[in-house]
Amino acid sequence: MKKTFALPVLLVLVGGCAQAPYWTVTDDANRVLKSTSFEMTVPAGWTRTTTADTWEQVKVDDKPQTLLLEQVTASRDGVALQAITVTRRYADTAFPTIKKKTRADMLPIEAADLYVSELRKRYGLERLRVVSNKPTQINGHQGFELVMEFRNDDGLRLRIVSNGFVDKTGFYTINYRAPVLYYFDRDYADYTKLVRSFRQSKGAFDPPPEIPGWAKIFT
Amino acid sequence: MNRSLGLFLLSLLVGGCATTGEVTAFKDADDTSKIQESEGRLWHEARSYDLTIERSGQIYEDPRATAYLQGVMDRLYPEFKGKIHVHLYDSTQLNAFALPNGSVYFNIGLLARIGNEAQLAAVLGHEAAHFIEKHSFRQRVSAKNASAFAVSGIPFASLAAVSSISGFSRDLEREADMKGYARLVRAGYDPHEAHKAFEQLAKEVQALRIEEPYFFSSHPKLVERIDAFKELAAKQKSGGRVGTEDYNQVVQPIRLEALRKDLGQDRYKSVILVMEDSNLRRYYPASGYYYLGEAYLRRDDKNDSQKALQAFQTAEKLAPSFAPTYKSLGMQYMKAGNKARARESFNRYLTLASKDAGDRAYVQQYISSLK
Repeated sequence: MKKTFALPVLLVLVGGCAQAPYWTVTDDANRVLKSTSFEMTVPAGWTRTTTADTWEQVKVDDKPQTLLLEQVTASRDGVALQAITVTRRYADTAFPTIKKKTRADMLPIEAADLYVSELRKRYGLERLRVVSNKPTQINGHQGFELVMEFRNDDGLRLRIVSNGFVDKTGFYTINYRAPVLYYFDRDYADYTKLVRSFRQSKGAFDPPPEIPGWAKIFT
Repeated sequence: MNRSLGLFLLSLLVGGCATTGEVTAFKDADDTSKIQESEGRLWHEARSYDLTIERSGQIYEDPRATAYLQGVMDRLYPEFKGKIHVHLYDSTQLNAFALPNGSVYFNIGLLARIGNEAQLAAVLGHEAAHFIEKHSFRQRVSAKNASAFAVSGIPFASLAAVSSISGFSRDLEREADMKGYARLVRAGYDPHEAHKAFEQLAKEVQALRIEEPYFFSSHPKLVERIDAFKELAAKQKSGGRVGTEDYNQVVQPIRLEALRKDLGQDRYKSVILVMEDSNLRRYYPASGYYYLGEAYLRRDDKNDSQKALQAFQTAEKLAPSFAPTYKSLGMQYMKAGNKARARESFNRYLTLASKDAGDRAYVQQYISSLK
């Protein structure tokens, strides 16, 4: 009796623990990455996360906080060399370190300015320089396209391109980051294809999920 | 056996770490080449720190202002000419620091808040005194002596940089004040200006509740320093070089840049504090009102959008050729439904802004949407 009860419990436990790998290589069979709020086509040969991260920890006034978001990452040679990060933040925590929310009437240029300030609060990005800032369209939304640069402690020049927009479901950014030397230009075309393929899903209009209980222990 | 080995090892450790001789200050530029091996290591660390700052783009490039600061430093310490190198540091935090190898970094935020050359000389004199009196080395020696008997997690490699930036012990800071002040007087600066710079900083640090771990951002330390300078100045006659005009000519563009950077890092409270204070505002160009308007929009309190509009209108009146004002005015009018004035402001922006201004495309888009 005990044995027959233990077996299904063990199976459930093992089934629950066994997870899909965090990273997967994109091939023709799995190029479309579907998340709750959005989907996009990932360039062939790139490695990408299999599921979206649903929370992040940020320091607000030097105190760690766990915040909800939805974020997927893709890279070809490793995130230190190039990374595409697609993020959806919720309206109330759209710009967490500067404690600003999105508003329905927020203009793209206003969202871009706040986003730059938000990034400059992040470690290593204090001297982030805006190279250009222009309007763009992302999946039918009026948005911004920011090009920014910074140098890391070793003097390596890195460039970030950020396409972003605000709507009533939150703040979306599609970022590409790579060293200016060699990598940025090489993979930029792949990034622009991914931006063009970005679509919002119906799930974007669902109520926000709960932060997992175990994630809150970090705050 | 084990005990005697332990004692032997302990004696080696203590002997190796503790210093036997007294640390003496540098006398002149030639003297800086006669340093002990352990001090040489400290210089090496400082050089690495210099390189990191340079490589990571933390130097604020303004050759004219850098030469001006270097000139003041050389006037204060002529016998160290060529050994103390002043750099502008691209940070709006209220700080300045000296490394043990004679590199002095002056944050543009602090430069923007100081009113004249005599006040600048008070800070530079203090920082150079840290180098000349070998405060980093002395602090390291005393830390090593203490740690020979204690288990400590403080890495010595970072100690020099940490204390250089965040401040030394109270005694060493006092010594730097005294030595720097003596040089200020000897170089012919008005001694009664020294405390004024710090009074303003103390006011600002308290008003903004700044809690940064920097010497110049620490309110109790600033108050202590103001008292010390007042006491010293009481023994001196008034008069001497103040250098308000020269200083402001050089620093005015940096002041505007500091406002821009403060806003870009969401330090809007600092912009509001500076631009609402008539004593401080007089040092800033009239285009500073544009940043005040933007700061109000960032704060977003009740009536702030009205205050922002008034600040933009003041900027338009006092600095009519400053392009960014017209973009912000256009956006305010557009949001208020005043299409005619919005179009007029946006068109003015496109006329005044440089051809490669990053946000021209937004303004063109807004003009199209207003037709």
